[in-house]
Amino acid sequence: MNLPAAAVRVSGLTKRYKRTEALRGLDFEIPAGQVTGFLGPNGSGKTTTFRSLLGLTRPNEGDIEILGMEVPRQLSQITKKVGAIIEEPGLIKAHTGRVNLRIAADTLGFGHDTIEEMIEFVGLSSDADRKVDEYSKGMRQRLALAAALLGQPELLLLDEPLDGLDPAGQHAFRARLRALADEGRTVVVSSHDLADIEALANYVVVIDHGRLITQGPLEDLLDGGMIRVVVDNVDAAIRVLSAAGMESRRDDGGLVVDAQDGVDIVRALAQAGIYPSEVRPERNSLESMFLGITGEEQA
Amino acid sequence: MSLVHAEYLKISRRKLFPVMLLILGFLMLLTAVLFFVVLPALPEFGGDSPVPERPGAFVFGAQQVAGQAWWFAVILATAVLGGELSGTAWATALTRDSSKLNHVGSRLLIYSTASWLAFLFGTALWAVVTWLAADGSGSPEMTEWLGLVWRFALIAVAWTSIGLGAVAITRSIGPAMGIALGFSFLDSILAPFIAPYENVSLTAASNGMFDVGGDGPFSVFIPGADLSLTHAIIITLGWALVGFGLTWWGLRRRDA
Repeated sequence: MNLPAAAVRVSGLTKRYKRTEALRGLDFEIPAGQVTGFLGPNGSGKTTTFRSLLGLTRPNEGDIEILGMEVPRQLSQITKKVGAIIEEPGLIKAHTGRVNLRIAADTLGFGHDTIEEMIEFVGLSSDADRKVDEYSKGMRQRLALAAALLGQPELLLLDEPLDGLDPAGQHAFRARLRALADEGRTVVVSSHDLADIEALANYVVVIDHGRLITQGPLEDLLDGGMIRVVVDNVDAAIRVLSAAGMESRRDDGGLVVDAQDGVDIVRALAQAGIYPSEVRPERNSLESMFLGITGEEQA
Repeated sequence: MSLVHAEYLKISRRKLFPVMLLILGFLMLLTAVLFFVVLPALPEFGGDSPVPERPGAFVFGAQQVAGQAWWFAVILATAVLGGELSGTAWATALTRDSSKLNHVGSRLLIYSTASWLAFLFGTALWAVVTWLAADGSGSPEMTEWLGLVWRFALIAVAWTSIGLGAVAITRSIGPAMGIALGFSFLDSILAPFIAPYENVSLTAASNGMFDVGGDGPFSVFIPGADLSLTHAIIITLGWALVGFGLTWWGLRRRDA
Protein backbone atom coordinates (compact mmCIF):
# COMPACT_ATOMS: atom_id res chain seq x y z
CA MET A 1 0.00 0.00 0.00
CA ASN A 2 1.30 3.41 -0.99
CA LEU A 3 -0.06 5.71 1.68
CA PRO A 4 0.69 9.30 2.48
CA ALA A 5 2.27 9.97 5.87
CA ALA A 6 -1.05 11.20 7.22
CA ALA A 7 -4.07 9.02 6.45
CA VAL A 8 -6.45 11.73 7.66
CA ARG A 9 -5.94 15.49 7.73
CA VAL A 10 -8.61 17.73 9.21
CA SER A 11 -8.43 21.49 9.55
CA GLY A 12 -10.87 24.06 10.84
CA LEU A 13 -13.74 21.55 11.01
CA THR A 14 -16.87 23.23 12.32
CA LYS A 15 -20.30 21.70 12.67
CA ARG A 16 -23.23 23.59 14.09
CA TYR A 17 -26.58 22.13 14.96
CA LYS A 18 -29.53 24.35 15.78
CA ARG A 19 -28.45 25.43 19.23
CA THR A 20 -25.12 23.73 19.71
CA GLU A 21 -21.73 23.85 18.11
CA ALA A 22 -20.53 20.25 18.03
CA LEU A 23 -17.18 20.97 16.35
CA ARG A 24 -15.35 24.27 16.72
CA GLY A 25 -12.53 24.58 14.25
CA LEU A 26 -11.15 21.11 14.90
CA ASP A 27 -7.67 20.35 13.52
CA PHE A 28 -5.86 17.02 13.68
CA GLU A 29 -3.87 14.50 11.69
CA ILE A 30 -3.90 10.74 11.87
CA PRO A 31 -0.74 8.91 10.81
CA ALA A 32 -1.01 6.07 8.32
CA GLY A 33 -0.42 2.46 9.28
CA GLN A 34 -0.98 2.82 13.02
CA VAL A 35 -3.74 2.41 15.56
CA THR A 36 -4.90 5.86 16.59
CA GLY A 37 -7.05 6.42 19.63
CA PHE A 38 -9.57 9.20 19.13
CA LEU A 39 -10.31 10.28 22.66
CA GLY A 40 -12.77 12.61 24.23
CA PRO A 41 -15.40 12.77 26.94
CA ASN A 42 -19.00 11.98 26.04
CA GLY A 43 -20.38 14.80 23.92
CA SER A 44 -16.94 16.04 22.88
CA GLY A 45 -17.67 15.64 19.17
CA LYS A 46 -16.12 12.24 18.39
CA THR A 47 -19.10 10.76 16.56
CA THR A 48 -19.83 14.02 14.71
CA THR A 49 -16.21 14.02 13.55
CA PHE A 50 -16.49 10.44 12.28
CA ARG A 51 -19.77 11.18 10.54
CA SER A 52 -18.16 14.20 8.90
CA LEU A 53 -15.22 12.12 7.73
CA LEU A 54 -17.58 9.65 6.08
CA GLY A 55 -19.83 12.28 4.55
CA LEU A 56 -22.74 11.22 6.73
CA THR A 57 -23.07 14.76 7.99
CA ARG A 58 -22.05 17.94 6.26
CA PRO A 59 -19.75 20.24 8.25
CA ASN A 60 -20.36 23.98 8.08
CA GLU A 61 -16.70 24.81 7.62
CA GLY A 62 -13.34 23.13 7.36
CA ASP A 63 -11.30 20.85 5.15
CA ILE A 64 -11.01 17.08 5.32
CA GLU A 65 -8.48 14.98 3.44
CA ILE A 66 -8.56 11.19 3.66
CA LEU A 67 -5.86 9.05 2.05
CA GLY A 68 -4.81 12.10 0.05
CA MET A 69 -8.33 12.74 -1.28
CA GLU A 70 -10.75 15.52 -0.44
CA VAL A 71 -14.05 15.06 1.39
CA PRO A 72 -16.71 15.43 0.09
CA ARG A 73 -15.47 15.97 -3.49
CA GLN A 74 -13.81 12.55 -3.77
CA LEU A 75 -16.06 10.72 -1.32
CA SER A 76 -17.05 8.08 -3.82
CA GLN A 77 -13.39 7.04 -4.20
CA ILE A 78 -12.62 7.44 -0.52
CA THR A 79 -15.40 5.20 0.75
CA LYS A 80 -14.15 2.34 -1.39
CA LYS A 81 -11.02 2.41 0.76
CA VAL A 82 -12.64 3.05 4.13
CA GLY A 83 -14.45 0.64 6.42
CA ALA A 84 -16.48 1.98 9.29
CA ILE A 85 -18.54 1.14 12.32
CA ILE A 86 -20.53 4.16 13.43
CA GLU A 87 -22.49 3.94 16.68
CA GLU A 88 -24.63 0.79 16.91
CA PRO A 89 -23.92 -1.30 13.81
CA GLY A 90 -27.01 -1.57 11.61
CA LEU A 91 -27.30 -5.32 11.33
CA ILE A 92 -30.44 -7.11 10.23
CA LYS A 93 -31.31 -9.21 13.25
CA ALA A 94 -33.65 -11.61 11.50
CA HIS A 95 -30.83 -12.83 9.26
CA THR A 96 -27.79 -14.93 10.10
CA GLY A 97 -24.36 -13.39 10.38
CA ARG A 98 -23.35 -14.88 7.05
CA VAL A 99 -26.44 -13.49 5.25
CA ASN A 100 -25.78 -10.08 6.80
CA LEU A 101 -22.31 -10.14 5.31
CA ARG A 102 -23.71 -11.18 1.93
CA ILE A 103 -26.11 -8.23 2.04
CA ALA A 104 -23.26 -5.93 2.99
CA ALA A 105 -21.04 -7.28 0.21
CA ASP A 106 -23.83 -6.98 -2.36
CA THR A 107 -24.68 -3.46 -1.25
CA LEU A 108 -21.06 -2.37 -1.20
CA GLY A 109 -20.34 -4.08 -4.49
CA PHE A 110 -17.47 -6.18 -3.16
CA GLY A 111 -18.49 -9.68 -4.17
CA HIS A 112 -18.55 -12.63 -1.78
CA ASP A 113 -14.90 -13.68 -2.08
CA THR A 114 -13.73 -12.37 1.26
CA ILE A 115 -16.75 -13.28 3.38
CA GLU A 116 -15.42 -16.59 4.70
CA GLU A 117 -12.00 -15.09 5.40
CA MET A 118 -13.56 -12.25 7.36
CA ILE A 119 -15.84 -14.57 9.31
CA GLU A 120 -12.78 -16.54 10.33
CA PHE A 121 -10.76 -13.41 11.09
CA VAL A 122 -13.35 -12.09 13.53
CA GLY A 123 -13.78 -15.52 15.13
CA LEU A 124 -17.38 -16.18 14.13
CA SER A 125 -16.89 -19.36 12.10
CA SER A 126 -19.01 -21.49 14.41
CA ASP A 127 -21.74 -18.84 14.79
CA ALA A 128 -22.00 -17.50 11.24
CA ASP A 129 -25.22 -19.39 10.53
CA ARG A 130 -26.99 -18.26 13.68
CA LYS A 131 -29.42 -15.36 13.55
CA VAL A 132 -27.90 -12.06 14.62
CA ASP A 133 -30.79 -11.73 17.05
CA GLU A 134 -29.12 -14.49 19.07
CA TYR A 135 -25.69 -12.80 19.06
CA SER A 136 -24.13 -11.16 22.09
CA LYS A 137 -23.07 -7.54 21.77
CA GLY A 138 -19.47 -8.61 21.30
CA MET A 139 -20.42 -10.96 18.47
CA ARG A 140 -22.40 -8.18 16.78
CA GLN A 141 -19.42 -5.88 17.03
CA ARG A 142 -17.19 -8.54 15.51
CA LEU A 143 -19.70 -9.09 12.72
CA ALA A 144 -19.80 -5.35 12.08
CA LEU A 145 -16.00 -5.38 11.95
CA ALA A 146 -16.12 -8.20 9.40
CA ALA A 147 -18.56 -6.14 7.31
CA ALA A 148 -16.30 -3.10 7.56
CA LEU A 149 -13.36 -5.21 6.37
CA LEU A 150 -15.09 -6.74 3.35
CA GLY A 151 -13.53 -4.33 0.90
CA GLN A 152 -10.02 -4.74 2.36
CA PRO A 153 -10.05 -1.06 3.41
CA GLU A 154 -6.89 0.94 3.93
CA LEU A 155 -8.53 2.96 6.69
CA LEU A 156 -10.88 1.73 9.40
CA LEU A 157 -12.97 4.20 11.40
CA LEU A 158 -14.47 2.53 14.46
CA ASP A 159 -16.71 4.54 16.74
CA GLU A 160 -16.68 3.14 20.29
CA PRO A 161 -16.18 -0.46 19.06
CA LEU A 162 -15.27 -1.78 22.50
CA ASP A 163 -18.15 -0.16 24.30
CA GLY A 164 -20.18 -2.72 26.21
CA LEU A 165 -17.93 -5.69 25.47
CA ASP A 166 -16.88 -7.97 28.31
CA PRO A 167 -13.14 -8.16 29.10
CA ALA A 168 -12.62 -11.30 27.01
CA GLY A 169 -14.47 -9.71 24.09
CA GLN A 170 -12.40 -6.54 24.41
CA HIS A 171 -9.19 -8.54 24.45
CA ALA A 172 -10.17 -10.48 21.33
CA PHE A 173 -11.30 -7.33 19.52
CA ARG A 174 -8.11 -5.46 20.41
CA ALA A 175 -5.98 -8.35 19.16
CA ARG A 176 -7.78 -8.24 15.81
CA LEU A 177 -7.34 -4.49 15.48
CA ARG A 178 -3.63 -4.81 16.27
CA ALA A 179 -3.34 -7.50 13.62
CA LEU A 180 -4.90 -5.14 11.09
CA ALA A 181 -2.42 -2.40 11.96
CA ASP A 182 0.41 -4.92 11.62
CA GLU A 183 -0.77 -5.48 8.04
CA GLY A 184 -0.22 -1.78 7.41
CA ARG A 185 -3.80 -0.58 7.67
CA THR A 186 -4.72 2.59 9.51
CA VAL A 187 -7.12 1.96 12.36
CA VAL A 188 -8.85 4.82 14.16
CA VAL A 189 -10.73 3.89 17.30
CA SER A 190 -12.82 6.43 19.14
CA SER A 191 -13.45 5.87 22.81
CA HIS A 192 -14.10 7.57 26.08
CA ASP A 193 -12.49 4.60 27.84
CA LEU A 194 -8.86 5.49 28.44
CA ALA A 195 -7.75 1.96 29.33
CA ASP A 196 -9.01 0.73 25.94
CA ILE A 197 -6.90 3.23 24.10
CA GLU A 198 -3.82 2.83 26.29
CA ALA A 199 -3.87 -0.90 25.60
CA LEU A 200 -4.38 -0.49 21.87
CA ALA A 201 -3.14 2.72 20.30
CA ASN A 202 0.26 4.01 19.19
CA TYR A 203 -1.02 7.50 18.51
CA VAL A 204 -3.62 9.57 20.29
CA VAL A 205 -5.84 12.49 19.32
CA VAL A 206 -7.69 14.07 22.23
CA ILE A 207 -10.63 16.40 21.64
CA ASP A 208 -13.03 18.14 23.96
CA HIS A 209 -15.86 20.61 23.31
CA GLY A 210 -15.28 20.14 19.58
CA ARG A 211 -11.66 21.30 19.69
CA LEU A 212 -8.29 19.57 19.58
CA ILE A 213 -6.72 19.30 23.02
CA THR A 214 -3.59 17.42 22.08
CA GLN A 215 -2.28 14.82 19.66
CA GLY A 216 0.88 12.80 19.32
CA PRO A 217 2.49 9.40 19.79
CA LEU A 218 1.13 7.73 22.91
CA GLU A 219 4.63 7.15 24.30
CA ASP A 220 5.47 10.85 24.06
CA LEU A 221 2.24 11.89 25.71
CA LEU A 222 2.71 9.44 28.55
CA ASP A 223 6.37 10.30 29.08
CA GLY A 224 6.31 12.30 32.30
CA GLY A 225 9.90 13.58 31.94
CA MET A 226 10.73 12.20 35.40
CA ILE A 227 12.72 9.27 36.78
CA ARG A 228 11.43 7.08 39.61
CA VAL A 229 14.12 5.89 42.07
CA VAL A 230 13.69 3.37 44.90
CA VAL A 231 16.26 3.58 47.72
CA ASP A 232 16.37 2.58 51.39
CA ASN A 233 17.21 6.04 52.72
CA VAL A 234 14.98 8.44 50.85
CA ASP A 235 15.87 11.57 52.86
CA ALA A 236 19.61 11.04 52.33
CA ALA A 237 19.04 10.47 48.61
CA ILE A 238 17.03 13.70 48.28
CA ARG A 239 19.88 15.66 49.99
CA VAL A 240 22.51 14.08 47.70
CA LEU A 241 20.52 14.77 44.53
CA SER A 242 19.79 18.33 45.62
CA ALA A 243 23.51 18.92 46.16
CA ALA A 244 24.07 17.55 42.63
CA GLY A 245 21.53 20.07 41.22
CA MET A 246 18.62 17.68 40.68
CA GLU A 247 15.20 18.37 42.09
CA SER A 248 13.39 15.42 43.61
CA ARG A 249 10.46 14.66 45.86
CA ARG A 250 9.28 11.79 48.02
CA ASP A 251 6.62 9.72 46.29
CA ASP A 252 4.99 6.41 47.15
CA GLY A 253 7.88 4.82 49.10
CA GLY A 254 10.57 6.13 46.73
CA LEU A 255 11.39 9.40 45.08
CA VAL A 256 10.70 11.02 41.76
CA VAL A 257 13.54 12.99 40.20
CA ASP A 258 13.15 15.73 37.60
CA ALA A 259 15.61 14.38 35.04
CA GLN A 260 15.61 12.78 31.62
CA ASP A 261 18.49 10.36 32.17
CA GLY A 262 18.93 7.90 35.04
CA VAL A 263 22.74 7.63 34.67
CA ASP A 264 23.46 10.95 36.38
CA ILE A 265 21.19 10.01 39.24
CA VAL A 266 22.83 6.62 39.80
CA ARG A 267 26.31 8.16 39.61
CA ALA A 268 25.50 10.88 42.16
CA LEU A 269 23.90 8.44 44.58
CA ALA A 270 26.66 5.82 44.22
CA GLN A 271 29.33 8.44 45.02
CA ALA A 272 27.46 9.01 48.29
CA GLY A 273 27.26 5.30 49.01
CA ILE A 274 23.55 5.01 48.19
CA TYR A 275 22.66 2.22 45.81
CA PRO A 276 19.13 2.34 44.34
CA SER A 277 17.21 -0.93 43.90
CA GLU A 278 15.15 0.50 41.03
CA VAL A 279 15.60 3.34 38.54
CA ARG A 280 13.03 3.73 35.73
CA PRO A 281 11.27 6.42 33.69
CA GLU A 282 8.13 7.67 35.38
CA ARG A 283 5.19 7.30 33.00
CA ASN A 284 1.94 9.15 33.30
CA SER A 285 -1.13 7.02 32.94
CA LEU A 286 -3.33 8.01 30.03
CA GLU A 287 -6.02 8.73 32.57
CA SER A 288 -3.91 11.25 34.48
CA MET A 289 -2.72 12.82 31.24
CA PHE A 290 -6.28 13.03 29.92
CA LEU A 291 -7.75 14.38 33.13
CA GLY A 292 -4.89 16.87 33.35
CA ILE A 293 -5.35 18.31 29.88
CA THR A 294 -9.13 18.23 29.72
CA GLY A 295 -9.24 19.65 33.24
CA GLU A 296 -6.94 22.50 32.20
CA GLU A 297 -9.12 23.14 29.19
CA GLN A 298 -12.23 23.32 31.31
CA ALA A 299 -10.51 25.56 33.85
CA MET B 1 -28.46 -8.57 -9.77
CA SER B 2 -26.56 -8.67 -6.51
CA LEU B 3 -28.11 -5.38 -5.44
CA VAL B 4 -31.59 -6.66 -6.23
CA HIS B 5 -30.78 -9.80 -4.24
CA ALA B 6 -29.56 -7.68 -1.33
CA GLU B 7 -32.75 -5.63 -1.32
CA TYR B 8 -34.80 -8.82 -1.48
CA LEU B 9 -32.90 -10.28 1.47
CA LYS B 10 -33.36 -7.08 3.44
CA ILE B 11 -37.15 -7.07 3.25
CA SER B 12 -37.69 -10.82 3.13
CA ARG B 13 -37.36 -11.28 6.88
CA ARG B 14 -38.84 -7.99 7.98
CA LYS B 15 -42.03 -8.32 9.96
CA LEU B 16 -43.33 -5.17 8.27
CA PHE B 17 -44.29 -6.93 5.04
CA PRO B 18 -46.37 -9.80 6.50
CA VAL B 19 -47.96 -7.49 9.08
CA MET B 20 -49.07 -5.02 6.39
CA LEU B 21 -50.20 -7.92 4.24
CA LEU B 22 -52.42 -9.11 7.08
CA ILE B 23 -53.87 -5.62 7.53
CA LEU B 24 -54.52 -5.27 3.80
CA GLY B 25 -56.10 -8.72 3.69
CA PHE B 26 -58.27 -7.95 6.70
CA LEU B 27 -59.47 -4.67 5.19
CA MET B 28 -60.30 -6.32 1.86
CA LEU B 29 -62.12 -9.18 3.56
CA LEU B 30 -64.05 -6.72 5.70
CA THR B 31 -65.07 -4.65 2.66
CA ALA B 32 -66.02 -7.74 0.69
CA VAL B 33 -68.10 -9.13 3.55
CA LEU B 34 -69.78 -5.74 3.91
CA PHE B 35 -70.74 -5.70 0.23
CA PHE B 36 -71.72 -9.32 -0.27
CA VAL B 37 -73.00 -10.41 3.14
CA VAL B 38 -74.07 -7.39 5.22
CA LEU B 39 -75.66 -5.23 2.48
CA PRO B 40 -77.85 -7.98 1.02
CA ALA B 41 -78.97 -8.91 4.54
CA LEU B 42 -79.55 -5.29 5.63
CA PRO B 43 -80.39 -3.34 2.45
CA GLU B 44 -81.51 -0.26 4.42
CA PHE B 45 -77.84 0.46 5.23
CA GLY B 46 -76.86 0.65 1.58
CA GLY B 47 -79.37 3.25 0.44
CA ASP B 48 -79.51 3.24 -3.32
CA SER B 49 -76.09 1.63 -3.77
CA PRO B 50 -76.40 -1.49 -5.89
CA VAL B 51 -74.66 -4.62 -4.64
CA PRO B 52 -72.13 -5.73 -7.27
CA GLU B 53 -72.85 -9.05 -8.92
CA ARG B 54 -70.59 -11.52 -10.65
CA PRO B 55 -68.68 -11.26 -12.92
CA GLY B 56 -68.33 -7.46 -12.44
CA ALA B 57 -67.94 -7.94 -8.68
CA PHE B 58 -64.49 -9.45 -9.22
CA VAL B 59 -63.25 -6.34 -11.03
CA PHE B 60 -64.95 -4.13 -8.44
CA GLY B 61 -62.62 -5.71 -5.87
CA ALA B 62 -59.57 -4.87 -7.95
CA GLN B 63 -60.82 -1.28 -8.17
CA GLN B 64 -61.08 -1.17 -4.39
CA VAL B 65 -57.52 -2.40 -4.01
CA ALA B 66 -56.15 0.00 -6.63
CA GLY B 67 -57.91 2.97 -5.10
CA GLN B 68 -57.30 2.28 -1.44
CA ALA B 69 -54.19 0.16 -0.97
CA TRP B 70 -51.68 2.77 -2.15
CA TRP B 71 -50.60 3.14 1.47
CA PHE B 72 -49.03 -0.30 1.29
CA ALA B 73 -46.45 0.80 -1.29
CA VAL B 74 -45.85 4.12 0.44
CA ILE B 75 -45.31 2.65 3.90
CA LEU B 76 -43.06 -0.14 2.63
CA ALA B 77 -40.86 2.26 0.67
CA THR B 78 -40.62 4.93 3.35
CA ALA B 79 -40.09 2.48 6.22
CA VAL B 80 -37.37 0.39 4.60
CA LEU B 81 -35.36 3.16 2.94
CA GLY B 82 -36.07 5.58 5.78
CA GLY B 83 -34.83 3.04 8.31
CA GLU B 84 -31.54 2.83 6.48
CA LEU B 85 -31.15 6.56 5.93
CA SER B 86 -31.83 7.49 9.53
CA GLY B 87 -29.98 4.51 10.99
CA THR B 88 -26.48 3.21 10.58
CA ALA B 89 -27.01 0.20 8.35
CA TRP B 90 -24.05 -0.03 6.05
CA ALA B 91 -23.47 3.67 6.43
CA THR B 92 -20.59 3.82 4.03
CA ALA B 93 -22.46 1.98 1.31
CA LEU B 94 -25.38 4.34 1.54
CA THR B 95 -23.05 7.30 1.52
CA ARG B 96 -21.25 6.15 -1.55
CA ASP B 97 -23.92 4.70 -3.70
CA SER B 98 -27.42 5.40 -2.51
CA SER B 99 -28.22 7.82 -5.31
CA LYS B 100 -26.76 5.75 -8.11
CA LEU B 101 -29.38 4.58 -10.53
CA ASN B 102 -28.75 0.89 -9.91
CA HIS B 103 -29.29 1.36 -6.15
CA VAL B 104 -32.46 3.40 -6.60
CA GLY B 105 -33.63 1.05 -9.34
CA SER B 106 -33.08 -2.12 -7.31
CA ARG B 107 -35.03 -0.67 -4.38
CA LEU B 108 -37.85 0.45 -6.68
CA LEU B 109 -37.98 -2.97 -8.30
CA ILE B 110 -38.10 -4.96 -5.05
CA TYR B 111 -40.47 -2.67 -3.12
CA SER B 112 -42.79 -2.32 -6.13
CA THR B 113 -42.84 -6.06 -6.63
CA ALA B 114 -43.67 -6.61 -2.96
CA SER B 115 -46.51 -4.07 -3.17
CA TRP B 116 -47.74 -5.58 -6.44
CA LEU B 117 -47.87 -9.01 -4.79
CA ALA B 118 -49.80 -7.49 -1.91
CA PHE B 119 -52.31 -5.93 -4.32
CA LEU B 120 -52.78 -9.32 -5.98
CA PHE B 121 -53.20 -10.92 -2.56
CA GLY B 122 -55.91 -8.40 -1.61
CA THR B 123 -57.68 -8.97 -4.91
CA ALA B 124 -57.47 -12.74 -4.45
CA LEU B 125 -59.08 -12.53 -1.01
CA TRP B 126 -61.83 -10.36 -2.44
CA ALA B 127 -62.31 -12.87 -5.24
CA VAL B 128 -62.74 -15.72 -2.76
CA VAL B 129 -65.54 -13.86 -0.93
CA THR B 130 -67.08 -12.86 -4.27
CA TRP B 131 -67.00 -16.45 -5.47
CA LEU B 132 -68.58 -17.67 -2.23
CA ALA B 133 -71.13 -14.92 -1.55
CA ALA B 134 -71.88 -12.67 -4.55
CA ASP B 135 -74.96 -13.07 -6.67
CA GLY B 136 -74.67 -13.74 -10.36
CA SER B 137 -72.40 -16.12 -12.18
CA GLY B 138 -69.25 -16.38 -14.18
CA SER B 139 -65.93 -14.57 -13.84
CA PRO B 140 -63.91 -12.19 -15.99
CA GLU B 141 -62.04 -13.48 -19.04
CA MET B 142 -58.39 -14.40 -18.61
CA THR B 143 -57.36 -11.31 -20.59
CA GLU B 144 -59.27 -9.15 -18.14
CA TRP B 145 -57.47 -10.75 -15.20
CA LEU B 146 -54.12 -10.23 -16.94
CA GLY B 147 -55.07 -6.63 -17.57
CA LEU B 148 -55.56 -6.15 -13.83
CA VAL B 149 -52.16 -7.68 -13.16
CA TRP B 150 -50.15 -5.18 -15.20
CA ARG B 151 -52.30 -2.26 -14.10
CA PHE B 152 -51.49 -3.16 -10.47
CA ALA B 153 -47.81 -3.22 -11.39
CA LEU B 154 -48.01 0.35 -12.70
CA ILE B 155 -49.87 1.57 -9.61
CA ALA B 156 -47.33 -0.16 -7.35
CA VAL B 157 -44.39 1.45 -9.17
CA ALA B 158 -45.95 4.92 -9.03
CA TRP B 159 -46.78 4.87 -5.31
CA THR B 160 -43.48 3.20 -4.39
CA SER B 161 -41.63 5.92 -6.29
CA ILE B 162 -43.55 8.63 -4.47
CA GLY B 163 -42.80 6.97 -1.12
CA LEU B 164 -39.11 6.68 -1.97
CA GLY B 165 -39.00 10.29 -3.16
CA ALA B 166 -40.63 11.55 0.02
CA VAL B 167 -38.23 9.68 2.29
CA ALA B 168 -35.17 10.53 0.22
CA ILE B 169 -35.94 14.22 0.64
CA THR B 170 -36.94 14.15 4.30
CA ARG B 171 -34.60 11.26 5.34
CA SER B 172 -37.11 10.45 8.03
CA ILE B 173 -39.98 7.97 7.99
CA GLY B 174 -42.72 9.96 9.74
CA PRO B 175 -42.45 13.17 7.71
CA ALA B 176 -42.12 11.11 4.53
CA MET B 177 -45.36 9.28 5.25
CA GLY B 178 -46.97 12.61 6.04
CA ILE B 179 -45.90 14.04 2.70
CA ALA B 180 -47.15 10.96 0.80
CA LEU B 181 -50.43 11.03 2.71
CA GLY B 182 -50.81 14.75 2.03
CA PHE B 183 -50.08 14.20 -1.64
CA SER B 184 -52.70 11.45 -1.86
CA PHE B 185 -55.27 13.62 -0.11
CA LEU B 186 -54.61 16.71 -2.23
CA ASP B 187 -54.44 14.65 -5.41
CA SER B 188 -57.82 13.08 -4.79
CA ILE B 189 -59.38 16.37 -3.62
CA LEU B 190 -58.05 18.58 -6.42
CA ALA B 191 -58.80 16.24 -9.31
CA PRO B 192 -62.64 16.39 -9.15
CA PHE B 193 -62.76 20.16 -8.74
CA ILE B 194 -59.92 21.49 -10.88
CA ALA B 195 -60.46 20.17 -14.36
CA PRO B 196 -56.90 20.70 -15.68
CA TYR B 197 -55.45 18.87 -12.70
CA GLU B 198 -57.58 15.85 -13.47
CA ASN B 199 -55.38 15.40 -16.55
CA VAL B 200 -52.32 14.80 -14.36
CA SER B 201 -53.90 13.35 -11.22
CA LEU B 202 -52.63 9.96 -10.09
CA THR B 203 -55.99 9.23 -8.47
CA ALA B 204 -57.73 10.03 -11.75
CA ALA B 205 -55.24 7.88 -13.65
CA SER B 206 -55.82 4.98 -11.27
CA ASN B 207 -59.59 5.33 -11.71
CA GLY B 208 -59.14 5.61 -15.45
CA MET B 209 -57.03 2.50 -15.70
CA PHE B 210 -59.41 0.43 -13.60
CA ASP B 211 -62.49 1.93 -15.20
CA VAL B 212 -63.84 3.32 -11.93
CA GLY B 213 -66.69 5.78 -12.23
CA GLY B 214 -70.19 4.99 -13.35
CA ASP B 215 -73.23 7.17 -13.04
CA GLY B 216 -74.13 6.92 -9.36
CA PRO B 217 -74.94 9.95 -7.20
CA PHE B 218 -71.31 10.43 -6.22
CA SER B 219 -69.77 9.85 -9.64
CA VAL B 220 -69.03 13.56 -9.94
CA PHE B 221 -66.51 13.12 -7.11
CA ILE B 222 -64.73 10.28 -8.88
CA PRO B 223 -62.21 11.82 -11.26
CA GLY B 224 -60.65 10.06 -14.22
CA ALA B 225 -63.63 8.03 -15.40
CA ASP B 226 -63.34 9.59 -18.84
CA LEU B 227 -59.56 9.28 -19.18
CA SER B 228 -58.37 7.01 -21.95
CA LEU B 229 -56.27 4.05 -20.94
CA THR B 230 -53.23 5.48 -22.72
CA HIS B 231 -53.64 8.81 -20.96
CA ALA B 232 -53.98 7.06 -17.59
CA ILE B 233 -50.87 4.98 -18.23
CA ILE B 234 -48.86 8.06 -19.19
CA ILE B 235 -49.95 9.90 -16.03
CA THR B 236 -49.07 6.91 -13.85
CA LEU B 237 -45.67 6.50 -15.46
CA GLY B 238 -45.15 10.23 -15.19
CA TRP B 239 -45.69 10.17 -11.43
CA ALA B 240 -43.42 7.14 -11.19
CA LEU B 241 -40.77 9.17 -12.99
CA VAL B 242 -41.31 12.16 -10.71
CA GLY B 243 -40.90 9.91 -7.65
CA PHE B 244 -37.81 8.30 -9.11
CA GLY B 245 -36.33 11.70 -9.88
CA LEU B 246 -37.07 12.99 -6.38
CA THR B 247 -35.47 9.87 -4.93
CA TRP B 248 -32.35 10.34 -7.01
CA TRP B 249 -32.20 14.05 -6.21
CA GLY B 250 -32.83 13.58 -2.49
CA LEU B 251 -30.21 10.88 -2.15
CA ARG B 252 -27.82 12.83 -4.34
CA ARG B 253 -28.07 15.75 -1.93
CA ARG B 254 -27.40 13.36 0.92
CA ASP B 255 -24.46 11.73 -0.83
CA ALA B 256 -22.88 15.02 -1.87
